[in-house]
Formats: sequence, C-alpha cells, structure tokens
Amino acid sequence: MTRPALELRGIVKTYGATRAVDDVDLDVVAGEIHALCGENGAGKSTLAQIAAGKLAATSGEIARAGTIGLVRQHFELAGRLRVWENVVLGREPQRGARLDARAARARVSDLATRTGLHVDPDALVESLPIGLAQRVEILRELDSGPSVLVLDEPTAVLAPSEAEALFATLRALSRAGTAILVITHKLSDVLAHADRVTVLRVGRVTLRADAARTTTETIARAMVGGDLPMLPARAAVTVRKRLVARAIGTIDGRLRDATFAIGAGEIVGVAGVDGNGQSELVDVLAGMRAHTGALALDGDELAPGDPRTRIACGIRTIAGDRQRDGLVMAWSVTENAALGDQSRTEMRRGPLVDRAARERRARAIVAEFDVRTPSIATPVAALSGGNQQKIVVGRALGFAPRVIVAYAPTRGIDIGAAALVHARLIEARNDGVGIVLVSFDLDELFTLADRLVVLCGGTIVHACAREDFDRPRIGAFMAGLSS
Amino acid sequence: MSAIGRGRARTNIIAAVALVAIASIAMLVAGTSPIVGFAALARGSVGGTHQVAETLVQTTALLFPALAVAFAFRAGFFNIGAEGQLVIGGLAAGVVGTIVPGPGPIAIVAMLAAGALGGAGWGTIAGGLRARFGGSEVVATLMLNVIAALLANWAVVGPLRAIGAESGETPSLALDRTLPVIVEGTRLTIAFPIALALAAALWFFLARTVAGFALRAAGDAPFAAARAGIDLPRMAVFAFAISGAIAGLGGATIVAGVLHRFNVALSPGYGFIAIAVALVGDLDPPYIVLAAVGFGILQSGSLAMQSLAHVPKDAVTLVEGLAIVALAARRTIARLTA
Repeated sequence: MTRPALELRGIVKTYGATRAVDDVDLDVVAGEIHALCGENGAGKSTLAQIAAGKLAATSGEIARAGTIGLVRQHFELAGRLRVWENVVLGREPQRGARLDARAARARVSDLATRTGLHVDPDALVESLPIGLAQRVEILRELDSGPSVLVLDEPTAVLAPSEAEALFATLRALSRAGTAILVITHKLSDVLAHADRVTVLRVGRVTLRADAARTTTETIARAMVGGDLPMLPARAAVTVRKRLVARAIGTIDGRLRDATFAIGAGEIVGVAGVDGNGQSELVDVLAGMRAHTGALALDGDELAPGDPRTRIACGIRTIAGDRQRDGLVMAWSVTENAALGDQSRTEMRRGPLVDRAARERRARAIVAEFDVRTPSIATPVAALSGGNQQKIVVGRALGFAPRVIVAYAPTRGIDIGAAALVHARLIEARNDGVGIVLVSFDLDELFTLADRLVVLCGGTIVHACAREDFDRPRIGAFMAGLSS
Repeated sequence: MSAIGRGRARTNIIAAVALVAIASIAMLVAGTSPIVGFAALARGSVGGTHQVAETLVQTTALLFPALAVAFAFRAGFFNIGAEGQLVIGGLAAGVVGTIVPGPGPIAIVAMLAAGALGGAGWGTIAGGLRARFGGSEVVATLMLNVIAALLANWAVVGPLRAIGAESGETPSLALDRTLPVIVEGTRLTIAFPIALALAAALWFFLARTVAGFALRAAGDAPFAAARAGIDLPRMAVFAFAISGAIAGLGGATIVAGVLHRFNVALSPGYGFIAIAVALVGDLDPPYIVLAAVGFGILQSGSLAMQSLAHVPKDAVTLVEGLAIVALAARRTIARLTA
C-alpha cells in the first residue's frame, strides 16, 4: 500500500462532556473510494470536517499529502452567480486587477470535460436541479486540484440514475489518483461502489472492512451496535378500496391528473425524484391545498377539505419536514403528542385540556415507539431526529386512522429508528390502514410497498405491483427516460 | 411557558444588574449620586401608602395593554396597536358613561363593556386585514394608532359636543359612575384587582384550555399548527379581537377610575411601554404582573427622582429603553454565559 493521501491518528473531538469523535484512526489512499458509515450523531460529519481542516480536533494527528476538498451535505453555492463564477470563486484568474472571465470560463469547461461532470458553465446556479448543483459543488472542490475529495452524504438528494453517474465519476477520479472518502448511510452504495468501509458508532470505529468481503448486515450491526428489529410479516389482507383519487391535480399544475386507489391494508409507494409533485400530492391528501379532480374515502366523496376535517375523518399525515410541519420544537413531548388531536373528545374535558389523557397518550407513544427521552416533559428540540420522528409517527397512528400519508418518514433518521418506523407501518397496514408512502429511497419502497406508482413531472408515469418491482425500469421512469 | 421564556433566570439577573449599572452611570453623568437617585426613586414609588397606591395605578394602566400585547404575541402576532385600542376603548367608555341612563353600577358595567367592545372592534380591523389579505399586522396596528388618536380628537371637538364635550374631553362622570376606590384617599380602584384577575384568567386560558393550546401552537409553530387542523386566519381575527378587548378594557378603567372622563391625552404611551412590559414578563401572565409592577415603580418614582434628586425624568425613559436593549441582548448574554 502506498503512503496514504490522508492519515488520521487518534483523533478526538469533545464538545463539553460529549466525545463526538473518540480516538479514531483512518487512512484514505490514492486510487480508492473509502466509505465512512454511521448513524446520525456517530461523528461522521465532524470527522470529515476535521480531516478537511475546517474544524480543529481536540487531540490527535493529521497527515495530508496535499489539499482536501469537502463537498458538504448542504451546498454552499451562490445561487445568483453562474456556474463558472461559482467554481472559480476565491481563485479567480486575473488579468491585472481584473477578473479574466474568458480564462475562468475556459478553465471550468475544461475541468467539466476532463471529469465528465457536464454542466452548462453559463447557467445560473439557482436555476439548476439539485443533481446538477451538486456537480457544481464538486467541480468547485476539484478546481483547486485536491489530493483527497471528501463527500458528505452525496447521494441523499439524487435519483438512482444520478447516483450511478456520480459514482462512475468518482471511480474515474480515483483512477486518476484522487483519494475519495464518501460519507453515507446507504449501505447499498457502500457494497456497490466502495473499496473499503469504516463504520463509526458514537464516535468510535466499530468496523473496518473491505467492501468486497462484508455484507450489509455486518455493516448495519456495526452501525447500531446490535441486531435490528425484524420487520413483521405482511399479513394477507383482503383489499377493499379505501381512498380513491380521480384525476386530482393542483391549480399550479405541479400535480396533474393523478388517478389511483389505495386499499385498506395496502401500502402504495410513491417513487420519484424530489420535486416531481410529491409534496403537492401529500398536501392535497392532507387538505392543505385546493385541488381539481375528486377524492373519495370508503366510498364517500371528500369535500375539498381543510386539515381539520381530514384529521376528523381519519386521514393522518406524517409531514416531510418534521421540525417545521410536524412538531412545535419548544414544546414538551406531552404537548406534541396531543397536537392534531387537540379537539378530539378523548383528549379534552369540554373546553379544557384533559391533562391526564394527554400524559397517558404521550406515555403510550414513548413506550410503543421506544422514544428515548429523559421524560415526557422534555422539549422535543432536545431529542434526536429519530426520536422526534417516532413521536410524529406514533401520533399519526393513534386513534385508529383510516389512511396514513407518509412523506419520507425515515429521511435523515438513524437506521434503528427507521427500522422501528417501518415495522409500525407494516403493522398498521396489516390492521387495515391504507398507507400512501412517498419516499426518495427505493430500498425503503421495495421493502414496504405492496404497489408502486412513479411520479415524474407531476403525473403518474408508471404503476406496478410488488411482484413486478424492477429497479432499472423504475429508475428509468423516475428519470423521465421511459413513458 | 413561551418558547422564548425558558431557563433564563440567570440572564435576567445579569441583565438587571447591567441595567442598574448603566442607570448609575447615567446619573453620575447628570451630576447626581446614584445612591441619592435610587433613594429618591424608592421614596417616590414605595415610600408610603399614597406612593404605593400611585405605583399600582401605573401598574394597572400598564398591565392591561401588556396582557393585550402578550396575548397577540403568543398567537404569533406583533400587536403594536394596544395604544390605539386603549384610546378607542377609553373613548367608547367615556361616551357610554355620559349618555347611558340608569344607576351607577350598571353604568360602570356598561362603560367597561363598551371599552372592551371598542378595543375588540379596533383590534379586529388589524386581525381581519391580516387574515384576509395577509397584510403585516405591524404596519396595520401602527397606522391604526394614528387613526385612533385622530378619530378621538375629531370626536371630542365635533360630534361629542352634542353631549357636552369641550377642550378635548368628555364631560365629567357623576361620582357614582366612577370605579370604587379600594384604598381610601388614593386613586387606586378595583381596576387593579380586575387586572390581576384578568392575568390569572389569561394564564388559565393559555395553559389549560383547548383554544389556548391551539393559539400557542399557531404562535410557536404556524406550519405545524396549520397541519394539525388549526385555522390560522380565524386565529388571527380571534387573537386580535381579544387582544384589542383587553387593551380597550384598560382604556375604560383609566376613564372610569383615574380621569373620570375621556381625555384625548389619556395615555402617555401606555400601549407602547406595554410592549416592553410584556417582553420583560416573557409573555407569561404571572411574570407580566411582576414586570408591570417594576415599570409602575419606574413611572411613579421618576417624578420624585426629578424633584428630590434632580435627575431628569428622561432618565427613566432611558432605563426603559435600556430594558428593551437588555432584552434584545439576552440571547447573546445567554450564549456568553452558557
């Protein structure tokens, strides 16, 4: 093995009493793609920032063979500038005191051609879809000629075909001599594309392995420190139509002519690249948006409602942005457990809040969903994302819902919490709840859904049953390549 | 408790100490020993029965609009218009007190009801604009303050002359139509216990009722509240109506309890100082009562400070301004001391 391009020895980073990174050794050598895995809060991003020199370690040694480029999870691009301007920002070629625009533009086109990261150098960054914006971010880091490129969760926002293209590019870069460190929690990415994998758990390394000689189970176990809960078996359910949507759409046309039915005891997955009508679909079902077309629940036409009447007739939503749309972050677990059910007779005594009922409800959610919280009086802002999400999901599943509309219910939460959410959704399905599952993770859809519809450009372009799930075919529909 | 108001006892103490220190420096600059200045302030505000009563009169005048501001704030709206709602409430009470027939107690109840209704109506204009058109309630309430002042002026020099208004005020109320005094020989009336009861009622409403829960949700997390089935436009109208009613009731108690008539100058800016009172009190009724007492001490002690220690009354305005600055800086203080 050659001398590593990046060598970390005994890295420790403490925040107060918390050891975010606890004595970690890590090598990344030129020519390899190294995957760094771990749950939220395992210390991955902290370690990446230390490696890139953006954050000082409390102790430990770092040896770098050259510079390091860091592609962050949340891009740091100037939307009002053009692609080439963003790429050369801070390293502008100059002629005298002036920016040499022609040389800069040529440099960017050349870099894009050499790396295969094609993007129009003159496009405004704010007009680019997220996959292309990510290319700009990567180009910017590559422009300085780093010996190591670190990418923090690069596939989280990409469609499968975009993710494939990204890994092909990374492979080409690594062959050309760049050492690549990819932070990810998608285990399928690790096995398919990485050479070596390092797993972190609560700041410590729990696994080092060659990707070719390990399994997703081994990695998952190293990530959670034990076995994952088993998914319940899917019971055979006689499917009777529960929610029927006929040609529903939004006024702005972001959702058009969607016709589908969800059975009682069925999970219908909605696949698609983010921004193809998913949030509009969820909002229409939740009563948050005016719509065209018709909706019927158990045979009764639904009035173009408001969220209140939708909740009252048993349609519950698990919002995509839990911190903005699902929870009151400053409130306690107890008060959040009541949000949405505040008008229910079980939760009040006349005009007064039934505090005992509320606390019982909060305790039930904490117990059933294994919410890790010091007490039910703790503000939810103090809980991890996974535990916050368990409250949101637990609340939606209370009071015998008829339909659950789940929008990316496991996005950004750790795999232990995700497995629990999955198990509860399957149990609800087995109990006869009709579930609409919008997800950007095909693995999640394949695990849970009985049927899939694919949204592209605001319409349903494909529908298939579980036995016909086919990854390349669905990926093609998602990318708009098939019709 | 509000989102803003949690676990800041220490920062509040630091802010208070800083405030006293800066006020002391101001007094030194003005050529007075801070000890003499603060002693005068204390003597003028809590130095005797009369002084305490006068402090509580000021406390009462601030407490109504402060509770009004806090109520709207908890629903997520910045009601800068308590001043205007207070003026309209006072005007309504002054008119009703002059023209309504019948025995004193009934007239008093009618005056207070008219004040609350007048304030509610004035507040609902801002709430309705917000609900219907999404207009900024800050601009609306600010403008409505000006309109309220002009309207009151016009009323007393115009149509109200028919009932005997002159020199910018309505005729004096008959003595049996004024609020009963609770400390003999002072201006302290039942308005004070009414304000305390109102604070308790608002605390109960926010903490224990379903409607209060919905109101707090709308204020603390409007997006989550909307998805939880809470009608935000309706909440805007409701919050402003109640907020206006509270401020208007305050105006009515000044008319019926202190001035015994409506006067265009009935408020020296209570509705604005009330914003600081509400924020210092963390938008939480029990603490707002304490804050109102504190500001009441400043208001009534400032005159004594001026006459006894020759500290300009403006120094109190300075301290009030500093209190708001200290409040704004609290997040920073909290971060620095964390």
